[in-house]
Amino acid sequence: MGFTRREMLVTGGVGCAALANAWFSPANAAEKAEKDDTAEFVARQMGRAATESARLHLTMPAVFPTGYTVPMDLKVDSPMTEDDHVKRISVFAPQNPLIDVASFNFVPRRSVPRVSTRIRLAKPQFVVAVAEMGDGTLLMAKTYVDVATNGCI
Amino acid sequence: MTTPTPRVLLPSGATKGEVFQVRTLISHQMETGLRHDKQGRVIPRKIINRFACRYGGVEVFSVDLHEAVSANPYIEFYLLAMESGRLEFLWEEDGGSIYRLEHQLAVA
Repeated sequence: MGFTRREMLVTGGVGCAALANAWFSPANAAEKAEKDDTAEFVARQMGRAATESARLHLTMPAVFPTGYTVPMDLKVDSPMTEDDHVKRISVFAPQNPLIDVASFNFVPRRSVPRVSTRIRLAKPQFVVAVAEMGDGTLLMAKTYVDVATNGCI
Repeated sequence: MTTPTPRVLLPSGATKGEVFQVRTLISHQMETGLRHDKQGRVIPRKIINRFACRYGGVEVFSVDLHEAVSANPYIEFYLLAMESGRLEFLWEEDGGSIYRLEHQLAVA
């Protein structure tokens, strides 16, 4: 009969950890809560559908303290020959007041399809990149970025 | 606002066929046109809307920038060293101003 003080402490600790885990799972909670209509968005923007491709690498931090200057890396695996090259990569932030971010243009043979810059995000969202290849096919990639402040005001 | 100052950092020489990094920065407010002044009036949009790199006269890389690019746009890109020559960098601003930098590249 009677709990020891040690048992009370342990039970309390486990209880707190469980609560904290439920509270602080931002990535999972956000991804489930937000309906992901990125594919439809891209089809509307580009006038035709794009296929998600692992050849297009869109790298951004999953969480970032400010929306004013979020780093973004883009890379396409391509030999950049006349037959297989990327012409243009367009980046969109669908939840920003103005959704166009930037477009990067390349030429076959001479360009290297790899670029980094910093962008503004108004709120946590999927940032989406669309690569237009030389033959007209569209590749897309998206990544969820959770920013703590609105970088667009 | 002071004159936008562009900066470029890249190697002065490279070996033929080597991919080298170019880092560029231009000091610019990148006014989005979404902000208001103390009187409540909209501060008009004024951004660098285009960046281009010409290598030996050929435009090998360019960027169309929009309002969502951060202030003081930082653009890091990569070039394939093909021949010795001149690299020209230009930044075009809303309203037509163009800011330029040049660099001589020695390719061995």
